[in-house]
Amino acid sequence: MTIADRALTEELAGRKDMIVCRGVKKWFGDFQALRGVDITVKDREVMVVLGPSGSGKSTLIRCINRLEAHQEGSIVVDGVELTNDLRNIEKIRSEVGMVFQQFNLFPHLTVLDNVTLAPIWVRKKPKAEAVAKAMELLERVGIPEQAAKFPGQLSGGQQQRVAIARSLAMEPRVMLFDEPTSALDPEMIKEVLDVMKELARSGMTMIVVTHEMGFAREVADRLVFMESGEIVEVGTPEHFFANPKEERTKLFLSQIL
Amino acid sequence: MSDTSLSNMSRQPETPLPSPARWVRDNLFSSISNTLQTIFFSLIIFGLLRWVLGQVFSEESDWESVATNIRLLMTYNYPADQFVRIWVAAGTVFFAIGSSFAAWNINPAITIRRLVVGFVGFGVFLLLCAVIAPSVAPSSIRNGMYIVGAVLAVGGLVVRRLVPGAHLRFVPFSRLLTGAAAIIVALIWILPFGRHSFSDGELTIERGVSVASSTKVPWTVLFVVLLVAFFGGRVLAARFAPVMRRALIAWWVIGPAFVLFLVLRDPAFDWGRVWSVDVPIAAAFALGGGALLYVLARPGRDDLARVVGAVLVAFAIFNWIAAFAGWYPMLQKVRISFLLVGLVTLLVPTFAGERSARIRLASSWIGLIVIVHWLLTAINTESTLVISAPPFLGGLVLTVTIAYYVMLASFPLGVLLSLARTSKMPIFRVLSTSFIEVVRGVPLITVLFFFSIMLPLFLPRGMGISDLAAVFIGYTLFSAAYMAENLRGGLQSVRRGQYEASDALGLSTVQRTVFIVLPQALRVAIPNLVGQAIATFKETSLIAIVGGFDILRIANSTIPNQPDFLGQKRPALLFIALVYFVFTYSMSKSAQNLEKKLQAGQAR
Repeated sequence: MTIADRALTEELAGRKDMIVCRGVKKWFGDFQALRGVDITVKDREVMVVLGPSGSGKSTLIRCINRLEAHQEGSIVVDGVELTNDLRNIEKIRSEVGMVFQQFNLFPHLTVLDNVTLAPIWVRKKPKAEAVAKAMELLERVGIPEQAAKFPGQLSGGQQQRVAIARSLAMEPRVMLFDEPTSALDPEMIKEVLDVMKELARSGMTMIVVTHEMGFAREVADRLVFMESGEIVEVGTPEHFFANPKEERTKLFLSQIL
Repeated sequence: MSDTSLSNMSRQPETPLPSPARWVRDNLFSSISNTLQTIFFSLIIFGLLRWVLGQVFSEESDWESVATNIRLLMTYNYPADQFVRIWVAAGTVFFAIGSSFAAWNINPAITIRRLVVGFVGFGVFLLLCAVIAPSVAPSSIRNGMYIVGAVLAVGGLVVRRLVPGAHLRFVPFSRLLTGAAAIIVALIWILPFGRHSFSDGELTIERGVSVASSTKVPWTVLFVVLLVAFFGGRVLAARFAPVMRRALIAWWVIGPAFVLFLVLRDPAFDWGRVWSVDVPIAAAFALGGGALLYVLARPGRDDLARVVGAVLVAFAIFNWIAAFAGWYPMLQKVRISFLLVGLVTLLVPTFAGERSARIRLASSWIGLIVIVHWLLTAINTESTLVISAPPFLGGLVLTVTIAYYVMLASFPLGVLLSLARTSKMPIFRVLSTSFIEVVRGVPLITVLFFFSIMLPLFLPRGMGISDLAAVFIGYTLFSAAYMAENLRGGLQSVRRGQYEASDALGLSTVQRTVFIVLPQALRVAIPNLVGQAIATFKETSLIAIVGGFDILRIANSTIPNQPDFLGQKRPALLFIALVYFVFTYSMSKSAQNLEKKLQAGQAR
């Protein structure tokens, strides 16, 4: 049993495996970013990944949708193994949505176009259906009135919510969040976190890399602490914050709490 | 969190301008250094102006050489009895321009104040010219400049005083267009440009009279057509703008070629052959290709489409090799059609979709084949025109046609080249880099020489290439290399996050390039691309070296060799300098407008 598996509650253990990483290793030239990561993310689980900068958290989730390629080990997403095979990559990418720290909205398209572009051209949905779904999602994230504006005219919090709606439009099974609130002003962080909480409550499988401890405590099913490319500790929020086992975890928590 | 909504309906009003006297004091004479600079540069400007006016009015400059040779400069040796074709061609272009203004809702924000300031400035300029003009200038012209200048300057100032809120109210584009058209038409009818006519090869010149009706009337009709197209287009655009835009874009791509080869060149179609050979071939490709595309565009048939497309392209290339080696005969247009089918089939996966999308794809294909075959048949048919010395194009028509189609064709080619150069696959990178570097290392003259003189030597017997086509192909390849480099700068400016977001959403590489990367890269590259387009327009004068009679050659060689105007180069050259300036300034200005429009809502 891996460290990760040991922390599974009974409820979680019963669900199917959504993402399984076994012995994942990644190098950037000579620098090893991931040193053998083993983790299983269950269906409808919210997993929060913590750690100091350079610990490999972003690298890990970017490996999951092949924005980075891992050199050793295996990653299996919803039963499909992630290899160099383009077909597998395309399949996995249509199941996995990603929200970036820098939003990465398409600046030359309106908000509505940003959200409907992929459903129309990748899923081949008719335009009317895509637009209806997009408006529904924009309402869900709280900004339906901004549909005709350009990203440059929105605030950071609004842009990130559009980014979330854009990923949701592809109806993914898993959502990856790479430090979604790190580039936001404090007053906008709450509105984005509220959207993410609602998303978690609705049953989406989420992996969130973040420094927002309040969010982690409230919403996460499991917390993962990474350092120097390996997983140091995994636990439920109660156990993690109350009595962390590893020294490194205690040190990290003392620095940020 | 401010909501800066930029709608097209309301505009930011301009700040009121201080009085002219105040403005002059603040901007020109505010400090010793400013005053000295004002004096220094004024002297230079006055000196230049005086020199130019000296050239314009000098006794050696016979402006009749320009006035009577306008037709030569515009169309060179186009037969006079067929000239109505030129007017029809110009009419279609004017119609398209008017409709385009309407369909894209061109509406530059010009306040009354700015317009008035323009008039006042022009009036002051005329007065200045009248004062500085050399003594040899005819007094009628000098007096004319005084009067018009005074009217404009004083009138403008009065209007500015009287009209309230001149800096807040905008002049609608319709009024500007109508006003400009009216002024131009009035000038043609009133000013005595001189009249000339050819009879039995003899040129008769009547100086000091207004232009012949055979010129006045068509120009008036052209401007009426422009206004009708504009106002009618506006009515239509209220309901059908997107359809109009698509139709007009299609027209601007293929329309001028149509007008050129079917109206101006007037091919003498052999109807027997057309119905028995050309139409069946066209129908076969149109319907066969359409059916093929319809079947392959179903979602899920991506791989099949790619395989079929690759096979067709390979077959098309094989056809060309066979043509060179003489293995089997095949009509050029059939070879071209196979290549088109192959290329479009390769692109099918990107545009696949549900039933209506597939029908649209198939019908666009049919339309494309009809037009392409019509054009190719026309190009390969003999012309009915009796031309003294081919080609049938010359003067400004030649310059504009070559420049227009070179710009149009080199753009997609340049895009492909720059994408290849920045691609991950080494073969594309190496091929495109070598092509670009080789072409950039050679002067345009060399390229034109190679294509019009050397290339025909390499072609197998039976395969010819007209002068026009040779120049066009060479120039396009040349221009494409420069476009590619300009665009590469734009491509490098697109942030990596855009690629990542597109990949995360599942967009294919082609979709990502077309929808995300290129639009952003092009916005950044516009200043460079427009600069390249302007250079292309001016460098068309080099086709003179390979036998083309463009407007510069006519002004430089043909007019000075006429017995009535021996040695008269200067007036004609000054005139075409003005013509070039009008075209290139319009290109710059519309590029600026485009940039401003694209910035809407982007920068924060």
